[in-house]
Amino acid sequence: MARIQFNKVNKRYANGFHAVKDLNLEIRDKEFLVLLGPSGCGKSTTLNMIAGLEEVSDGELLFDDRIVNDAPPHKRDVAMVFQSYALYPHKSVYENIGFGLRMRRMDKAEIDRRVRDAATRLEITHLLDSRPGNLSGGQRQRVALGRAMVREPAVFLMDEPLSNLDAALRISMRAEIKELHRTMQTTFVFVTHDQAEALTLADRIVVMRDGVVQQIGTPDDIYERPRNTFVASFLGSPPINYLDGQIDTVDGGSLFRRGDLSLRLPPHVAERLAGQGGRHVTLGIRAEDVDERHQAGADNLLRARVKSVLPIGSDQYLGVHFDKQELYFRVGKDLAHKPGETVDLAVDLSRLHVFDPETSRSLIWEDGAAQ
Amino acid sequence: MDTAIQVSEQSRRDAEGYRRARLRALWVRRMVIFVSAVVLSIYVLAPVVWLVSSSVQTEAEITSVPPHWIPEEPTLQNYRAIFSATEEEEITYENRSGVDPVSGGFIPSTAKSLLPAMGNSFIVACAVVVLNLLVGVPAAYAIAKIRFMARNASVYFILTTRVIPDIALVVPFFLMIKNLGLLDTLSSLIITYLAVTVPFTVFILVQYFEGLPDELDKAARVDGCSRFQALIHVYLPLSLPSLVAVVLFTFLTSWNEFLLALMFTQTEASQTLPILLAAFTSDFTISFSFINAAGVLAIVPPVIVAIVFERYIVSGLTAGAVKG
Ligand SMILES: Nc1ncnc2c1ncn2[C@@H]1O[C@H](COP(=O)(O)OP(=O)(O)OP(=O)(O)O)[C@@H](O)[C@H]1O
Ligand SMILES: [Mg+2]
Repeated sequence: MARIQFNKVNKRYANGFHAVKDLNLEIRDKEFLVLLGPSGCGKSTTLNMIAGLEEVSDGELLFDDRIVNDAPPHKRDVAMVFQSYALYPHKSVYENIGFGLRMRRMDKAEIDRRVRDAATRLEITHLLDSRPGNLSGGQRQRVALGRAMVREPAVFLMDEPLSNLDAALRISMRAEIKELHRTMQTTFVFVTHDQAEALTLADRIVVMRDGVVQQIGTPDDIYERPRNTFVASFLGSPPINYLDGQIDTVDGGSLFRRGDLSLRLPPHVAERLAGQGGRHVTLGIRAEDVDERHQAGADNLLRARVKSVLPIGSDQYLGVHFDKQELYFRVGKDLAHKPGETVDLAVDLSRLHVFDPETSRSLIWEDGAAQ
Repeated sequence: MDTAIQVSEQSRRDAEGYRRARLRALWVRRMVIFVSAVVLSIYVLAPVVWLVSSSVQTEAEITSVPPHWIPEEPTLQNYRAIFSATEEEEITYENRSGVDPVSGGFIPSTAKSLLPAMGNSFIVACAVVVLNLLVGVPAAYAIAKIRFMARNASVYFILTTRVIPDIALVVPFFLMIKNLGLLDTLSSLIITYLAVTVPFTVFILVQYFEGLPDELDKAARVDGCSRFQALIHVYLPLSLPSLVAVVLFTFLTSWNEFLLALMFTQTEASQTLPILLAAFTSDFTISFSFINAAGVLAIVPPVIVAIVFERYIVSGLTAGAVKG
């Protein structure tokens, strides 16, 4: 149980590389926080600072009300699961799981109880005497989880723990980690570059890019109300489509226009853009926010030429040409299209995103965390 | 259908041909390996066999042509002289011709110094091994896993001390040892041998530690280890093979060292085995078989050390193979 606070934290590596810039972040007690971002954005660096494995260059890092900038890892009551699992090759699974407790001089019977409990929960009891080298990736992953679990730490840190697993295993482990969080009642900080992982697991997500926080919010916030084009593009598959165009104010409402295309912006957007007729904007349409089963009206019609049809089992990805641009949408699989055909798509207007083409900031959701 | 069978018979013949060629290649390879192994073994072992065999021959037999690989009248007189030298009467220039009248060979009075010299060599070698590990292991861990200022500079510095030949350092070393008042003591040897061996130890271990993943170190520290405990509980058990290499290397270097020992030792109090053996060979009146017996004793401790640690080399390697 711990609340973690970053106060204007910076991290510069010895070679001068500025990996984390002015990080302000409060991780609430018992929260499941996910650090999400592309490779090299400073997620692991941030996590390592929490663990005490990397020094804070400046700023303050607090656990509850205690400044822990210079506390070594073993004084922090954190447990960590690594991407490579980092199991001790010369120790048995039992010794691996119990090692942290042994280092804390817990008595043998209690260690034994905890190790066996964890092993039972993770269904690895039959492996307790094996060496890590003889285990499969999924089994090693469980051992690594067990090693962190038995510690019953105040903070549970995970650095891309699932990225070495195959797809099916990854999904089932997600569920287990979620369950683990529910039963352990402790603060989890989880690093990933996989948006689906972040969206399924997180109470809150922190999106990072080049060491700078882009947005902090619930999965819903992040997905539905992205503060900038980076966040909007990073989540969603296929990624959000962008169209540059102009705002046109008509009879109390606003339209987005580009060539023949004219989309009526919903009231909450129109309100924000009131009196900005003629302004250049970037419109964002999420791949799933079109429908071609419903009749498109004059307000929400997107007419395009089909370029490719990519079935993905449950749905299909529809690649279309629109005004020399390629857009990708996700539509039901029951509708058959052939490349070259013209298709009428009904855009879900209430879910449109509008960004400033220069700053890439959202023009709808600009309050809050998009510093 | 018919043509298909034709083709497959043809290809079966081909397959048979390939199989034969493969087996032939396999057989040739085995023979080459076997013959090379035999030749190499003879090359390495023949001198040792001759050393052992001649050490139990009389002076007459040792000089016979052709040489006897298997002694015809084996004798333990040389070993007896070494192990019971103290009780025997002093052999002097005057009475030495009385010894072993058959050969005229002569067992020197310093024979009784042989065991003490071996003791000296052993003490020095063991001390050097232990101190090397105590100094080298933490140094290598720090260099490999902790980022500190001038880290690379210190590695280069340590290594450059090793490109200077020992002979160039003999005089400075001598002056230092003399001024420290350590001439003719075992400490003088231990100190100078450390200067020679520690850089190698650090170099070997840094290489090895750098090969072990950083995440192991991080995992250990998050699990509650201090840096030092991470070293003891995680890195040391994993680096057994390289530790064994270090032990063997430093032990053998100290055991065989001649030049520095020649400079710093003067009496039985500190003389090591190589010094004593060299003294034997420079006196041409001394029995060859006696010198060979001394030589046999000189190789016994290193062989024992190698045999003891060979087991750890093997177990160390399997531990490495399990690495995830
Ligand atoms: N010890 C170091 N010295 C110098 N630069 C480093 C060091 N460790 C990491 N970096 C740099 O800092 C940046 C952030 O690294 P970090 O490991 O936090 O990225 P990440 O977001 O975890 O990426 P990934 O998804 O690839 O793990 C990277 O550009 C990396 O090159
Ligand atoms: Mg990382």
